[in-house]
Amino acid sequence: MRNVWTLAMTVVRDTARKKIFYVVLLFGLAVVSISPLIPTFELGSQARFLRDISLSLTSLFGVVLAIILSINQVPGDVGKRTIYNILSKPVSRLQYLAGKYLGILITLAIILLVMGLEILILIYARLQVFSPVIFQGVFAVFLESAIIAAFCLGLSTFATVPVNAFATIIFYFICHVKTGFLHGKLIDEASGGLVKIVSWVFYYIIPNLENFNLSEQVGYAGGVPWPFLARISGYAFLFVALFLVVGYLVFRVKDL
Amino acid sequence: MGDFVVSLNNIKKVYRLGFSRRRVEAIHGISLEIESGGIFGLLGPNGAGKTTALKILLGIVFPDEGTGSVLGRPLGDRSAHHRLGFLPEQPYFYGFLTAEKALNLYGKFFGMDHDAIKSRSSALLDVAGLRHDSHLTLGKYSKGMLQRFGIAQALLNDPELVIMDEPSSGLDPLGQKEVRDMLLRLRDEGNTIFLSSHQLSEVESICDSVCIINKGRNVTGGPLSLLLAVEGVHRITLEGESPEALGRLEPLSVRVEQAEGITVLDVESAGVYRALDAARELGMGLVSVEPHRRSLEDLFLETTKETSD
Repeated sequence: MRNVWTLAMTVVRDTARKKIFYVVLLFGLAVVSISPLIPTFELGSQARFLRDISLSLTSLFGVVLAIILSINQVPGDVGKRTIYNILSKPVSRLQYLAGKYLGILITLAIILLVMGLEILILIYARLQVFSPVIFQGVFAVFLESAIIAAFCLGLSTFATVPVNAFATIIFYFICHVKTGFLHGKLIDEASGGLVKIVSWVFYYIIPNLENFNLSEQVGYAGGVPWPFLARISGYAFLFVALFLVVGYLVFRVKDL
Repeated sequence: MGDFVVSLNNIKKVYRLGFSRRRVEAIHGISLEIESGGIFGLLGPNGAGKTTALKILLGIVFPDEGTGSVLGRPLGDRSAHHRLGFLPEQPYFYGFLTAEKALNLYGKFFGMDHDAIKSRSSALLDVAGLRHDSHLTLGKYSKGMLQRFGIAQALLNDPELVIMDEPSSGLDPLGQKEVRDMLLRLRDEGNTIFLSSHQLSEVESICDSVCIINKGRNVTGGPLSLLLAVEGVHRITLEGESPEALGRLEPLSVRVEQAEGITVLDVESAGVYRALDAARELGMGLVSVEPHRRSLEDLFLETTKETSD
């Protein structure tokens, strides 16, 4: 576990060096700049609208960050040969991959936490409404970003950076739009057997990222029950584990 | 398997490159065995398979066929890495870390505690001559400084076996001498050093045994003293030079050379006394008589040329 933690901290330090943490300033600026656009509803509606739009923005930032942080971890170390100095030490490839992923998660958690605080402060400063419920939505964005990061990191063990970027973006959109489309095919009487089988496979092996979109619940309905958050955490964990295991199985036997 | 510090038995490796999975045969069957406590040199021209062989030893590349062991553990077994140090060719490190922080990072991988890392790092930075630059990030180091840092990190865990790919690469003559002295000191302390190098003079001056490979195959190998000895030929070095001496000694020798008041003749071992008698009659002083050794460069060129043809 020590090796995993040591590698994770190296990822966080590297991220700090690359000034990726500055993205929170950019995010703050984006949230502040959209706040004047809030329609002049009653006070409660304004807060709800601001929560909704801020969370959508957080989700966008979270996913982009997950891709940026994950896509070049392994190819970068292999390309620069820094990986030789690590794997020639008593560090297994599993520890290496797990350390990289943990570092990405810690970085995402720090950045998303600060973004959540920014939203909280902005809503309070603008409308004098305290909205801690926003952190439920930020947590869901963290889970969604964790899945994207696991997919991207797993893929990076065998795909080139451009292919990976393209595949991850496509994956993200499929995961968001698949629910309605595939479910429709599943229940449609007119669908053929093959269509139903393919729909069934993709419906269950591709994560439904809409599960992590809590904009409506957090924005307008006062949040979600805690068991729901536990359930989507378990759901995210399953897909994270799946993508990392697939990535590890490839990486385990890869010549570097 | 456990008798040798390193052993490779008939290792074969084919890389498959590109979209078409084009086959590139890197190693066709290399075997070698290294005993404990010496300096072993792996030599070969570019593309001979040296770096692939080192990577296989470290579990960075996997062989297609063959078996082997490192420090008594099968290839790929990470537990051997606790007792092993590695310097890659043209080493690259995380450029955002200072030398101290990088050594701290690597020390943690070895399970060393904070105090042990600190004291060992301090000593190694002194040895590497990087004490005054230890606060700089590695990204600001010159090639030679990186090489010296690479050697320092390879010795961090006080390894039994040190594997070095081109240890003198990028170093100036003084730096090269310091590395040579350090390797000899490590050997005297009982460590085993396995190095791959293009610098034949360096290898000849410090290695106890070598293995020459070419095109992924063993060409020759063994203790350097045996490999370089020319069987049945002795070299006699005499004081004095003259056309008369040349005329008298030439029929008795395989080869005669005169320069700067010295005459050197290579004679068949059976004819050593006859040549010495002739030299005495000519009034030439005896400097030395020794079994004739060729240079490692001669051996390298001869053997790799044979296998390249």
